[in-house]
Amino acid sequence: MSQLKKSMDECFVQEGKMSLPNQYFAGRVGSKFIIALRDEKKILGVRCPECGLVYCPPREYCDKDLTKLDENWVDLSSEGVITNFTVVNYNDKHLPRKAPFVLALIKVDGADTPLGHIVEGIDPALVQIGMRVKAVFADQTTNTIRDIDHFEPLT
Amino acid sequence: MAEYFGSKVEDIFNTMPARFLPQGVAGVDVVIGYDISGEGGGRWTVTIRDATLAVAAVAELPKCSVVLISDPETFVGSALGKIDAAEAFGAGKIKFTGDITAVLNVLPKAFSPFKPVVRAGAIIESMPERFKPEKAEGVNLKIGYDLSGADGGAWTMLIKDGTCTLKNGLDSDCTVTMRMAADVFVGLNTGKIDPAAAFGGGQVKIEGDIMAAGTTAKLFGKFEAAGAQEKKGEELISLKCIPTINQRFATGTHMGKWFAGLKDKRIVGTRCPQCHRVLVPPSEVCAICRVRTDDFVEVGPKATVCQIDTVYYASPDPLSGQVRHTPYAGAYMVFDGGTPYESFAMEINPKDMDRIKPGMKVRPVWNTERSGTFTDLLYFEIDD
Repeated sequence: MSQLKKSMDECFVQEGKMSLPNQYFAGRVGSKFIIALRDEKKILGVRCPECGLVYCPPREYCDKDLTKLDENWVDLSSEGVITNFTVVNYNDKHLPRKAPFVLALIKVDGADTPLGHIVEGIDPALVQIGMRVKAVFADQTTNTIRDIDHFEPLT
Repeated sequence: MAEYFGSKVEDIFNTMPARFLPQGVAGVDVVIGYDISGEGGGRWTVTIRDATLAVAAVAELPKCSVVLISDPETFVGSALGKIDAAEAFGAGKIKFTGDITAVLNVLPKAFSPFKPVVRAGAIIESMPERFKPEKAEGVNLKIGYDLSGADGGAWTMLIKDGTCTLKNGLDSDCTVTMRMAADVFVGLNTGKIDPAAAFGGGQVKIEGDIMAAGTTAKLFGKFEAAGAQEKKGEELISLKCIPTINQRFATGTHMGKWFAGLKDKRIVGTRCPQCHRVLVPPSEVCAICRVRTDDFVEVGPKATVCQIDTVYYASPDPLSGQVRHTPYAGAYMVFDGGTPYESFAMEINPKDMDRIKPGMKVRPVWNTERSGTFTDLLYFEIDD
């Protein structure tokens, strides 16, 4: 450690910021999903005609049997159940809320796979797996998954 | 023959060979009969066996695995998706006799979906709508179209005083007359046939003023097949964004010395106490001997070029997101007083890009404003 001590005088810290220009294409399936959230305030899923699994968020191919799924759209409920969650305890500007806030996996009724989203309207310490929540749609569209603003507990 | 939703019953059967998907029907052996009674209807058999397809129009249906009975409108409508086939079946407008599962399981895998057949007549008849008067100022033309084949016909189009009028039949006094098979005409208008090949290969015969024929294309908007618009209307979401990630770079003990050196226009390295090689920029540990290297030495600032890299494709600068101007070049160099083969890489002055060669002497060009960061050293240039 003595070596560190003698040369610390010229150590310094440089603050920086990395920018990553990005173009995100939602794809045909993703676009239809977002557009339904935006225009109809409706959560859509796709059902695999082979194994019957309902994906929400929808995807183009089934995980299990690689069947193409983009034709089998199903309307899902805007209510669901928390299957897992985490409490975000730090602040950063890429994060959608000020800490502490809850990010949860929510399986909406009718779907077999969970959707990641924010849960609000409850003390993060009281969130539990199995809790029922419902989607609150955003007033202003961003053409993203955040056309659902957040989920909140069903009272 | 009667058309339903712009298509004929026979179109569905005539396009089957082109829509056939042999890989979807391995092991299938069926004869499907179609009994479509009504105007434009008829009877057909579709035989799928050993991954091959045979379609035939017949007077009487032979023994079939299954027979589909419908009327022309329902049949065409459900093929185009304009009529819900399940509903039509429920309402008794589509009936089956025989093994219905042969139809339900085989057909969706055997054929790609039916799309309306584009007919020459439809293209010609849409020309007055696609006419652009503003492009036709002073144009006075009489164009004859003589299209041979099943869907062919003859039309005369008069372009005069910024108007476009179309009539059936071929006038004898046309400025230019174009003769070709109707399917070639369709291919040209839908972009499936290359005009140069069609004209050069003699598939299109032009009589009269060839130059006038060449000018007609710009007088009309592009032909778009019915149904093509629906597809075009599909909204797709694509977002552009520049996410940023905050970074914190701590120099540590040795790079701190390096940056302090740059501020004073000095190049600093470390010498390994065991192998005595000089590491530039300074490294805390000699990667070969695995011992701490705390012996700071000053080298350069001039150096000898070992190798040059010219970059023609630039990745975005991670700090600004901007893509830099290409080409640019960097050089691997050994500082005076450094160890051979222990090279340092740095950009070179763009003006020297064409001249620089291995073995040349280079000198650093310093930023006038230096704050102990990596922009203090701008680049190296040929020392002459």
